This record gives sequence, C-alpha cells and structure tokens, in this order.
Amino acid sequence: MEAGLLAIGAGIAVGLAALATGYAQGRIGSSGIGAIAENPELTGRIILLVAIPETLVILGFAVAAMIIVLLGG
Amino acid sequence: MLVDMTKVHVIGHRRHLDEVVARLHALHVVHLIDVTADHEVHLPPLGVDDEQLAELHEARLLRARIDSLLALLPEPPPVPSPAPTIDLDEIRRELDAVGPEIERLVIEMEELTAEQDNLPRHIAALGRLLPLLPEATITEGYETSAVLIDSHFPDVLAALDVELGELLDGNFEIISDRVDADTIGALIVFPQRRSQDVASLLGREQLSRVRLPQRFSGLPFRRALAAMQRRLDELPAELEDRRDRIQRLVAPHGSWVVASGQLAARMDQLAAVRLMGATSHTFVVCGWVPTPRLAEVRAALAETAGGSTVLLDSPPGQSDSPPVLLDNPAVARPFELFLRLLAIPVYGGFDPTLLMLAFMPLFIGIMLGDIAYGAALLVIALVVGRRFGNRPGAVRDVSRILVLAAVWSMVWGVIYGEFLGDLGHRLFDLEPIWVNREEALEPLLVLSLGIGAVHVVLGVLLGIWRAAVTAQSSKLVERIALLVALSGSFLIVLAVAEQLPAGFVTPGMVAVVIGLVVMMASGGAMGLVMGPLELIGALGNVLSYLRIAAIGLASVFLARVANDLGATAPLLVGILIGTLFHTLNLALGVFSPTIQALRLHYVEFFSKFYEEGGEEFSAFGGDNNADPPVEQLNPDS
Repeated sequence: MEAGLLAIGAGIAVGLAALATGYAQGRIGSSGIGAIAENPELTGRIILLVAIPETLVILGFAVAAMIIVLLGG
Repeated sequence: MLVDMTKVHVIGHRRHLDEVVARLHALHVVHLIDVTADHEVHLPPLGVDDEQLAELHEARLLRARIDSLLALLPEPPPVPSPAPTIDLDEIRRELDAVGPEIERLVIEMEELTAEQDNLPRHIAALGRLLPLLPEATITEGYETSAVLIDSHFPDVLAALDVELGELLDGNFEIISDRVDADTIGALIVFPQRRSQDVASLLGREQLSRVRLPQRFSGLPFRRALAAMQRRLDELPAELEDRRDRIQRLVAPHGSWVVASGQLAARMDQLAAVRLMGATSHTFVVCGWVPTPRLAEVRAALAETAGGSTVLLDSPPGQSDSPPVLLDNPAVARPFELFLRLLAIPVYGGFDPTLLMLAFMPLFIGIMLGDIAYGAALLVIALVVGRRFGNRPGAVRDVSRILVLAAVWSMVWGVIYGEFLGDLGHRLFDLEPIWVNREEALEPLLVLSLGIGAVHVVLGVLLGIWRAAVTAQSSKLVERIALLVALSGSFLIVLAVAEQLPAGFVTPGMVAVVIGLVVMMASGGAMGLVMGPLELIGALGNVLSYLRIAAIGLASVFLARVANDLGATAPLLVGILIGTLFHTLNLALGVFSPTIQALRLHYVEFFSKFYEEGGEEFSAFGGDNNADPPVEQLNPDS
C-alpha cells in the first residue's frame, strides 16, 4: 500500500511537470517554427528556447527520484 | 581556436583595378569590408562605371542562359582539359545555334517521361473495367463511358441509374461489377448525341470518370488498351533517342561550364567594386586576411600589376570588428556545426569546439549506453559518412559526431552491462562492470549531478579566465564569488549526504555566505537580487544534468519493453516485434540524447563564459559571395 502511494506520488511529480513542460514547449515551439520560417538562422536559438522549459520536467524527475530513493528505501 | 586576423588595405592605380581584383578573387583569402565602414579610410566608394554596369548586365544575362540550358540537361557536357580559352561572343553564337533545338528535345523528353509515368495507371484502370464490357454493346451511334465508384457507397450506382433514366428516357445501359476491394467499375452505354448531357451529369455528381489520354480518347476501350500497351513499349526507345540527340548536341560544348564559372567570378569581382574606396586616380581595397596567410597575399600582389600596388597591414584596432575564422583539428571540426547553429564567438573570444568534442559524445554515450545500439549507430554513421564523406555539409558532420557518440555508447554499454537492454543478460549472462541501470537509480543520479558539477564549474572557470583576459574586473569578481559560493554549496551537500565529515558544513556555509555577499556587492543595486539568483541559477544548472540519468532510464526501460513484448510472441514474430521496438528505441535514443546534450552545452555550460555574435569570415572568391542587385552597385545609378 505504502509503496503504491509512493509510486503514485512519484508519477504525479513527473506527470504534472511534464504537462507543464509540454504546454510551454508547445507554445514556444509553434512560435519558434514561425520564426525559423522567416529566418532560418534562428534555428539554434529556437532549439535553445524550446529546450529551456525542460528544466521543469527534470525538476519533477528529481522530486520523483527523491520520493523513490529517500522514502522508498 | 580562432585564427588571428590582420587588417589590410590594398592601394593601386585605377588602370590596374581589374587585374588586382581578379588576383584577390582567385586567392580566396581576403574578407572584404565596405570602405564606408572602415574608420581608417575616409574615401567615397568607387562604384561601378557605365561600362562595368553594362558588362555586368551582359554577364548576368549570358550566365543565366548557360545555366538554364545546363540545368535542363540529363548530364552536363564533359569539360575539356586543359580548360579552353573562352570567347563569350562564340558562346553566344553557339547558344543561339543549338539552344532552341536542345530546349525542344528536353521538352519532348519531359512529355515522354510524363507519358511513361501516366500510361501504366490508365492501362491498370482500363484493364479492370474491360471484363465488364461485352463486345455486343459497342454499336454504331453509341458511346461508352467508364466511371469508378468507391465500393463503400454502392447506393451511388442506384442513384446514377435513376438520374440517367430521367435524362435519357431509359435509352442507356449500365454494366457494373466490383473491380477490386475498394472500387466498383461501371460502364455506361448511351447514344453518342447525348454525350455532352451525360458528361455534365457525371461532372455534377462528381463521379470519377476514367479519362483516356488525348491520343487514345477516340478509340473503343479494347483497342485503346492495346494501343496504350504498344505505346508504353515504344517509349523507352524514344526517350533514349532524345537523350542521345541531346548529348550529341551538347558534347562539343564543355566550354559552357567553364564560361559559367568565369562569368560568375567576373560578376563577383564587379560586385566587389562597390565596397572599394576611390580617389581620382587610385582605388583602395579594405579587408581582413588571416595573419598566417598574409605573406601569401603579399607575394601574390607583388606579382600583379608589375608590383605597383601597395599592401598596408595592421593589427585590429579598438574600434574594429574583425571577422571570425574557426580553425580546429579535423576530428573537432564537425562540432563547429553546432556552434554555428547557435552563433559563432566574437573575435578574440573563446572557441569551445574542442570542449564540445570532449563532452558531447560522452553525454550521448552515457545516455544511450548500450553495446548493440552503439554498434548499430556506428555502422549507420560509418555508412552515411562513407556516402557523404566527400561532400562537406551537415550530414557529413553529424555522421562523424555520431561515430564518436556510438563508440562512447558501446563503452557505457559495457559499463552498464546492456546489450539491447537486458537481452544480453537474458541470453548470455552479460553483467555490468559498474551498475545495472534498471535496478540502481541512486548511483546514476549521483553520476549525473557529478558530471553537472564538473561541467558547470569548468564553465565558471572559463568565465573567470575570459573576464581576466578582457580586463572586466567587476565580472571577474562576480565569477570568482560564484565559484566560491558554488564550492561551498557542494561541500554542504556532500557533508549532508555523509560523503564528507559533518565538519565541512560550517566552512561550506561560510563560503556560500562570502560568495553571496561579494556577488551582491559587485553587482551594485541590482546585485542584491541578481547575486542570489545567480547562485540559484547555477545550482539549477547542475540539477539540470539529471536529464542524463532520466533519458538513460527511459532508454533502458523502452529496451526492456521491446524484449518483454518480443518474449510474449512465438519466436519469429517475437524477433520481428523486438526488432521493430528496438529500432524505434534506437531512433529515439539517438535523437533525444543529441538534443539534450546540445541543450546542456548551450544553456548550462556556454552561459558561464561564451561571448557570441561574431561575423563569420567570408573569403572573397569563395562560394558565399552575394550577387547584389545592380542598383546597389553604382551609387550614381
């Protein structure tokens, strides 16, 4: 039971963070593609901008890992 | 590494302009700059005179004619060796003489090719319908039309029957049958005089009518089918005949290719004139030359125009912005692609290409970490590399980067004991040297954070070095303070995690406080906010390297899913399923780690030291010179 709850908690930590990242990347990505269509030289910068929200899901992953490693024993 | 640049001014008499410009163009070593942007030269731009403008017009026109004709050819004409002397009037006469004939033959070839592509479709459609057609229905004064109906809508046929009944007063016949799984073929026989009415009805109802090519449209279906088949058999010979005739016509004209190149060079040279300065009798070329090649330019100019030109050289001044030329060892050169994707460094800045060579394939290898995936990637990269090895470009560069990444993947595959995920363990008891990623999360997290700490600290150290070299004292203090605060944070974390004695917590906290205070003090009023944010940002940067563990875990569990799914099916089907999923995982396993490794460099690493925004060196006479509109060339025009 306890292990199940820990797993659900870890899943929520990653899942919600992934949703937030996806939302942010979707908006940045759609604008970014428009910008690249206008000026292909911006490709590198757009990759950089699209990649920035991934920190959210990585932090979610860090929280999930802490739940599993520290609480799950 | 960045190549040192020397500023040059070439001064000569105007009567030698063409000769000097042609020599510089052939050298491919001078980056021209606009005289109006050169603070050391206060001269008006030379511009092109009416004669040169007319020459440019002519060159453009002639080159466009040659190139458009060459573009039509299946194969370019062989270029004679040695290259012939080009007489442009002779080329014009040749183009007038054989150009129209070549164009006509090329158009014929295109029509024949289109016919060759289209006929099989008509033959197939007609072949399906013919069995429906009884010979007896083809009678004098009657016409037959064929339509294809989607078999999912059979009611259309009944509706068509009703509509035709009303239109033709029952004077028609429909024969229909299924011609394949999705299509019902229907032949409508009706009086020829009502042809227009039936065509209108079919068009109005948007029915897909089988239309024969113009050449066969008047024939009955059976004869049309036989005629189309005969025509299809004749086409290869006709195509070959046109190709031979074109090749015979162009074969003696290899000089066109040479002329096109010479005209392009001349257009480049005339376009460059607009950048030069002028006095009443002299011209001045302003530009940059890579310092190691300055002697080469000097020697070439000494042999040009009787050595009458003067070459002045000087190191870059404070107000100059020299172009940036990257010069790295061959093994590191492919990584310049990723540097250009972001922005090249400023002149005098630091070129991190060698560091990307050291870290990027390593990061990809740690994430992918599988012997079989690494081997597959190596084979793919080598095959692609061999195919594109002689053609500079992104594909060749990426293939070379992936070769290194594949080797690191195999190395880390041995360390993790992974061969197609856990298949190596299942089949031949492959054991990890260090850790099994499926079972031990903690060591992976520690490894990722360790790599992050090393990479970020290296970035901060480079930032300190750059600030010292460029004498930015405030930035230097701020970077050193950040390093102190970061080191303190690491001590605290290691002590709390019981990797260091508890006594390290106090010095760690002292280091963090000192670092923070110095950062806040060095940043002025904004420093109060930016100092703590800078430290939090740097710690966040280190945490960001957890993605190395996260992507690696995703890769290994996807591989396990592939193995588990494969194991549930019979042997051959299981191998097929496993192969499919492993291929998908390999594709993801290459794309995702590459993007993530790139992001770690761009965001976490470069932000500590990288000064971007240089203008890339573009040699006069190279491939990338622009061909500006004529009106920009002559300030008076």
